[in-house]
Amino acid sequence: MIRLFFATDIHGSEVCWRKFLNAGAFYRATVLILGGDMTGKALIPIVLDRGRWEVVFRDDRHVLETEEEVRAMEDRIAARGYYAVRVSREEMTALQGDAARVEALFAETMQRTLERWLDLAEEKLRGQHLRCFVCPGNDDRFEVDELIGRSRVVELAEGRVIDLGGVEMISTGWSNPTPWQTYRECPEEDLRTRIEQMARGLRAPQQSVFNLHCPPYRSQLDEAPALDQDLRPLYGGQAVRPVGSTAVRDAIEQYQPVLSLHGHIHEARGAARLGRTLALNPGSSYETGVLQGALVEVDPGGVRSYMLVAG
Amino acid sequence: MAGETAGYFVRRATGLVRAWSGFDAFIYAFFSVNFVTLGMYIMSFGPFVPKGHLLPAAVITGVLVTFLVIVYAGLIAAMPRAGGDYVWQSRILGGGIAFVLAVTGWWFILWHWVPIYGNILSIQFFGPILATLGRPAAAQWFGTPSGIFVSSLVVLAFVSYYIAIGMEGYARIQKACFWGGLVGLAVVFLLLLVGSQPQFQQAFNREAVRLFGASGDVYAQTLEASTKYGFTPPPFGAMPLGPSILLIPMLVFYLLWPNWGATLYGEVRGASDYRRVFSGMFWGLWVTVALSVVFFLLVAKTMGWHFYLAANSNYWATIYDPKNAPTLAVPLWPYPALLATWLVNNRAFQLIVLLLMSLWFWGWSGTVFLSSTRVIFAAAFDRVLPEWAASVSPKRHVPTGALVLMVVPSVVVSYLYAYQPGFATLTLDATLVIAVTYLGSVFAATIFPWRRSQLYASSPAARYKVAGLPLISVAGVITIAFLLFNLWKWVTDATYGVNNRQSGYYMLILYALALVIYIIARVVRSRQGIDLARIHAQIPVE
Repeated sequence: MIRLFFATDIHGSEVCWRKFLNAGAFYRATVLILGGDMTGKALIPIVLDRGRWEVVFRDDRHVLETEEEVRAMEDRIAARGYYAVRVSREEMTALQGDAARVEALFAETMQRTLERWLDLAEEKLRGQHLRCFVCPGNDDRFEVDELIGRSRVVELAEGRVIDLGGVEMISTGWSNPTPWQTYRECPEEDLRTRIEQMARGLRAPQQSVFNLHCPPYRSQLDEAPALDQDLRPLYGGQAVRPVGSTAVRDAIEQYQPVLSLHGHIHEARGAARLGRTLALNPGSSYETGVLQGALVEVDPGGVRSYMLVAG
Repeated sequence: MAGETAGYFVRRATGLVRAWSGFDAFIYAFFSVNFVTLGMYIMSFGPFVPKGHLLPAAVITGVLVTFLVIVYAGLIAAMPRAGGDYVWQSRILGGGIAFVLAVTGWWFILWHWVPIYGNILSIQFFGPILATLGRPAAAQWFGTPSGIFVSSLVVLAFVSYYIAIGMEGYARIQKACFWGGLVGLAVVFLLLLVGSQPQFQQAFNREAVRLFGASGDVYAQTLEASTKYGFTPPPFGAMPLGPSILLIPMLVFYLLWPNWGATLYGEVRGASDYRRVFSGMFWGLWVTVALSVVFFLLVAKTMGWHFYLAANSNYWATIYDPKNAPTLAVPLWPYPALLATWLVNNRAFQLIVLLLMSLWFWGWSGTVFLSSTRVIFAAAFDRVLPEWAASVSPKRHVPTGALVLMVVPSVVVSYLYAYQPGFATLTLDATLVIAVTYLGSVFAATIFPWRRSQLYASSPAARYKVAGLPLISVAGVITIAFLLFNLWKWVTDATYGVNNRQSGYYMLILYALALVIYIIARVVRSRQGIDLARIHAQIPVE
């Protein structure tokens, strides 16, 4: 029997990444899977101005006098899932008027952070009898795959059929279109083809695990805040709408894997049954430093037990 | 890129939404602290504290509930999207305590709110509308056990419909009801503003005679009957603080809920989210308090403060002290909106205003099961409840499991409320049990900065301090004192109707039931290899 721990959507939170690496020992899991969207969404410049550092973090303006204060702020920013960068006042001014420059800085910072994360993984996981998989999600740039591909302890799951030890797993971090036009999103038909290609490579689809970042449409695991045209939540954030993928739903209903693992919609933590398939979305509270996840015991006969945890 | 002027940059990424409308959040809080359905209902119990005055009591309650708002805003901003009291308490106090407090406060006790909603529907909708349509017997029937039971079933049908159509559909209906209800209330206030007391007396006498066959000066008879019954309130201008404070445990029946169902979305912002969520609840509370004050002033001016209290005293005497109660010339609950419409001698106008006022009920009624459904789902996902409790029908997308767990017991409780003598008093625990749940969350919030220091430090609430202490903890201590005062009064003072052995046993049964469910879940899940204690255990960071 495989005891796997699945988490997703940590969006650059250093605390959550560290917890993820420790989850194997903590939950006695032999397989760790990160479902996608591991990179951060925001860049926080710490601006050097006349010998002092200034930063606006979470609506508050901070003036930092010492190196210790700057480092502490960088840690706070990283814990929250954002990237801290030290820049001069002139660089800041240049960034504010140049979207391409910001994009390049994002890419550079993201890469540097990810390399550090993978070094940390090497340090923590080497010698442990567990396998660790990461499947970049729709919010992750394509360079992420290459970086993970270089790791000796973290395996890239995207587009592959992986034998977890009697149970096979297919993975993709691609999603159906979102209002944000992210890196890995495509029309439902393309997503269907992408899943089909992997599913055809499975020995026994009904004994497999589907690790698909986007949740199935109308499964409760895909309920996101309803937004207006300006991306403003409607009705004070109370109203929700299903935004999952029909291709993912169809694939699950067609192949009936024992387990399907999803993320993407942070608010929609839950479990659902689609035929004989148990579908899980542990949700995400990455910004609070809480690692939400799913601990599952599974074998070819099915899911023996599962638990949605918040560590 | 969005945010660059604020000093940060965001990239293309899912979920980066703009700030939601604070006004929408206000509407939600405002409708939860419902001035008409809950407010006018509980204000009518004012004569039970004869020396107290509703106006200072409402203002003081507003001040004290503001601290509750501060506490909940802090929790919401620190743990957004978490799912409310159950999850907050789970993360800070542990799963067992959280389950017991949350399921009693947000699930079991809401079965008991259904007949309360049913009763309010009877006295604020069916009774006044039927009376206005010239059907006094039918209007009175809705005050009988069968009438209240039927009203409760109507409530259940509506609430089930709201859950079936989902939050977006309900929010849309609620917003329409908000505007329609406000128009109705504005008309009522306007009538009370422009009408004089002699005009009101004349209108009251006219309608009492025409609709209910009364005779003579019914207004004066109402005052005399109440004096004879032994009720002599102080004049409106006298507002003694001490006795008025004793009204607070009553007024929390409507003013304690600005945090009902509040959630927060938004990941990049910080303090502005805290302020936004605080503002929604704060203004929801204080606009209601302000409406209450205006209402008291208008009632005193046009209806006469003594008359308002006397009419209510007489009515409740027929329910709680039927042997000694005076005979009612108008045998209906003295619904202020109905009495105000009588100032215009036109049936169609009266009907339209009453229908508009009923929107306060229809827009609000969905709130009864909203939080229950969330708690049931969260407990099922935590494996404390069976998986089917969070099941959703594939075709209609209705949470059938949660609905069954809410509706079936509510039908039984509504039946007992209507037909079982004495059972109705147990529903007076409705506020008390939720206050205990709040106490759990407020206590969790008070120790939050120390118990989950890292999580607290990263939250927007951490920037607010009072004399070096976290604001959430200072507000928490004040709120705990406030809630304990209410609990103490409810448990020790007969005025509030719950300090009896039967009520105590009943509440203990509810808490024991929750505890038993949790213990069974622990044992069953343990045999399945699931350790429920691990669900909220923190993974080490280093």
